[in-house]
Amino acid sequence: MPWQPGHRSLTVTAPNEGALTYDASFRAMPVREWWRAAVLLAAAAIFLVTACLVAASAADDTRLTAAEARKLKSPIPYTKKSIDRGRLIYSQNCTGCHGTDGKAEVAVIAEATDLTSPKLYKNGTTEGEILRSIRDGAGDQMPPFKSQIDNEEDIWQLVNFVRSLWPPAMRPPLLEDKGK
Amino acid sequence: MNEKNPSRRNFMAPIAKGAAAGAAVAGAISPGRLFAASMPIPSIRIPKEVTETVSEPTRLGSFEGQGMTGAEVFARACKDENLAALFCCPGNYPVIQAISAAGIPAYGGRSEGSMTSAADGFSRVTGEVTACSGTEGPGFTNMIMNIAVAHRARTPLLVLASNVTLATDDREYFIQTGYQQPTTEGLKKYGKRLIDPKRVHEYAAYAFRYLKTGVPGPVHLDFPGEIVRARFTDASQLTDYYGKEKYRTESRPHPAPKDMAKALDMIGKAERPVIVAGQGVFLRKAWDALMTAAEKNDIAVVSSGPMRGHFPDEHRLSASLSTDALMSADLVIFVGQYSMPARNEYKFNPDVKAIRVNPTAEDLGRNWPLDLGIVADEAAFLELLAQDLPRKRRESWVSELAAARQKYEKRLLDEYEQGVKHSQATNTLHHAVLCKEVHDFLYKGSIDPKQTVTGWGGWTIGNCAARWLRAYRPGQEVNCPYQFSAVGPDLAMMVGAGAAVQLGVGPQAAYKGAPVLVVTSDAGIAYSMFELDTAAKYKIPVVCIVYNNNAWGMWPSAVGTPRAMHMYLFQENLRYDKMAEGLGARGEYVRTQDEFRDALKRSYTAAANERVSSLINVQALKEFTSARNYPPGNMINPEPSVGALAH
Repeated sequence: MPWQPGHRSLTVTAPNEGALTYDASFRAMPVREWWRAAVLLAAAAIFLVTACLVAASAADDTRLTAAEARKLKSPIPYTKKSIDRGRLIYSQNCTGCHGTDGKAEVAVIAEATDLTSPKLYKNGTTEGEILRSIRDGAGDQMPPFKSQIDNEEDIWQLVNFVRSLWPPAMRPPLLEDKGK
Repeated sequence: MNEKNPSRRNFMAPIAKGAAAGAAVAGAISPGRLFAASMPIPSIRIPKEVTETVSEPTRLGSFEGQGMTGAEVFARACKDENLAALFCCPGNYPVIQAISAAGIPAYGGRSEGSMTSAADGFSRVTGEVTACSGTEGPGFTNMIMNIAVAHRARTPLLVLASNVTLATDDREYFIQTGYQQPTTEGLKKYGKRLIDPKRVHEYAAYAFRYLKTGVPGPVHLDFPGEIVRARFTDASQLTDYYGKEKYRTESRPHPAPKDMAKALDMIGKAERPVIVAGQGVFLRKAWDALMTAAEKNDIAVVSSGPMRGHFPDEHRLSASLSTDALMSADLVIFVGQYSMPARNEYKFNPDVKAIRVNPTAEDLGRNWPLDLGIVADEAAFLELLAQDLPRKRRESWVSELAAARQKYEKRLLDEYEQGVKHSQATNTLHHAVLCKEVHDFLYKGSIDPKQTVTGWGGWTIGNCAARWLRAYRPGQEVNCPYQFSAVGPDLAMMVGAGAAVQLGVGPQAAYKGAPVLVVTSDAGIAYSMFELDTAAKYKIPVVCIVYNNNAWGMWPSAVGTPRAMHMYLFQENLRYDKMAEGLGARGEYVRTQDEFRDALKRSYTAAANERVSSLINVQALKEFTSARNYPPGNMINPEPSVGALAH
């Protein structure tokens, strides 16, 4: 039945049928139609609940929560050597979206975060939160890099490089490289 | 209606009946309904004129009798130069007709842009010069995006278009006036508006000199009417009317002995050398020399460029899947790499030593600082290398390559396993599942893994397909978005590639007649879907897989700006399979892994046995792009590798 003003309509997505719109002005419905609508609603509810459960089980359980990330402390000191190592990793993994200078001005393939401005970060600025964004991905666009940068120490070096892009007053204090 | 005899009388009879009945019910039934009720809908069919006219005898123009037109002079030069094929839409009539009459395989399609990409695709899998043509004005401007694609891919593409008359230049006389050469500025290697009829052969020679020497690229000629319709009864009426052996050379630059000695010394000192074999290796058909050189000295090879396969992916020295090993390479040798990356675009250590071999000097040193630049033809360099390199085994380097390859493949399987879970949870098909199914079908089943030429495009699906598709022989894989990253030419390009396979041109000879397969997106298919009609018309069997996720791949860009999201979305659950059926192809609609597997098998069988194309509409979700909700989301591929997009 076509939708008309005053009708309440309900959209049900059924497997293999796409979006089906059923009339929900129940008073006018014959009993058989009531029964049909009820069965479809129940089926849809079961489908949706099952889908959510399976989706939850499909989620990557190695991902850090925001709270877990905030507690993390970097084992890699913020040194020139670490920043240089991070710069190399950055140049080979990150420049496509964030640009060579971190400002993300080339919006060819993504609307990426300007890494030079921590105020614009959407997923936190602690070292652990930055690691989480790199390792596990962030938002809907940034993919996780843990499979491409599979040495976690390297991700920490990258975190140090990212923080070196910040305004000087916001950067951590630079430490001496050991062995110098 | 009598389908076997669609005469005007048969066609009109039911209409007349309908009209009478319509009068009786005084408009109660609409004429359209009456028409549909009383007549069966005629089947889609290939006009007999198509099959008859493609096999007409060929005819080259001659100075005898009425002589040759300018168009025939030009077509004759194209024939002498073995122009491999022409793809066009009507317009530029004297030229396309003369080229077709000369016996050069010619194809007419549905839009000039797509025909340009079809010519590009034909060239990418054969290495041959191909042509495209359109009418002046709108036909020509329709070609622009696709010329740009060919330009970035350095395709030897001959772009032809008519362009009103010299007599009406600058007058906006009648229709379709346009200044063509400025329009292709920056998109071509050479271009010319022909303005003197007697120089038509001379400029054909110009075109082929540029197309067949050095680093190739599109050449654009526009033909005013006076040029193509002029008549010539004697060779003396044409300037520089002599053959290709006199107007261009087959001579190629060979590496200077001191450069070669230095290259051999650098390779000798390196522990982990790698050759990046670009399209120049393919265009110069230097794959055998490349193989000999690599195997003789255990040099790793990554194949790069708009086509892949000039070094087989399964070879123990292939580094195309060994991206993690590239960081430890200590020498990289770029051979025929025309589109040079910046250093940070390739996963090499910044301290890696670099040699680059290029047929011309002017590009050496651009983007990548070189320890040695060599001006040389790719084949000449690789043949010398194969001859002069000592035999050497590099066991630890080869083991490192193998371990990195194993790691890469493990990552693919991890992504696939996540994809299976996402697919089962949503009753739609995740891109990684789709791509692994294609991979297993083409390379792990009963089909010869070298048989099928594939191509890929699209964003989420393109990145994924590039990781799973393989090339085991020259010209087996087309990287449709290479460098320019255009959305949409994929299907058209593969119709062109399919034409080359049907003809068995060059490296396709061993697999003449096999189907081709393209994986593309719902965004991409909209640009060239009508070329399914062209594929059907010429019986070019294409299996076209459309990853239908209801959106442009960049939809996550709008997540932070809710009012913008609508611009990134399509209607959901569109039926590209039904549209394909309307164009004379088979349509398949799938949502699950099992359904896809069966549909792929049916489609390939129809393509191989009946030369019928199919479109498989794979229903997916745009949210699969999201790393947050469906990890790993859309992964961008490291370069150089099987998945390279930019270089």
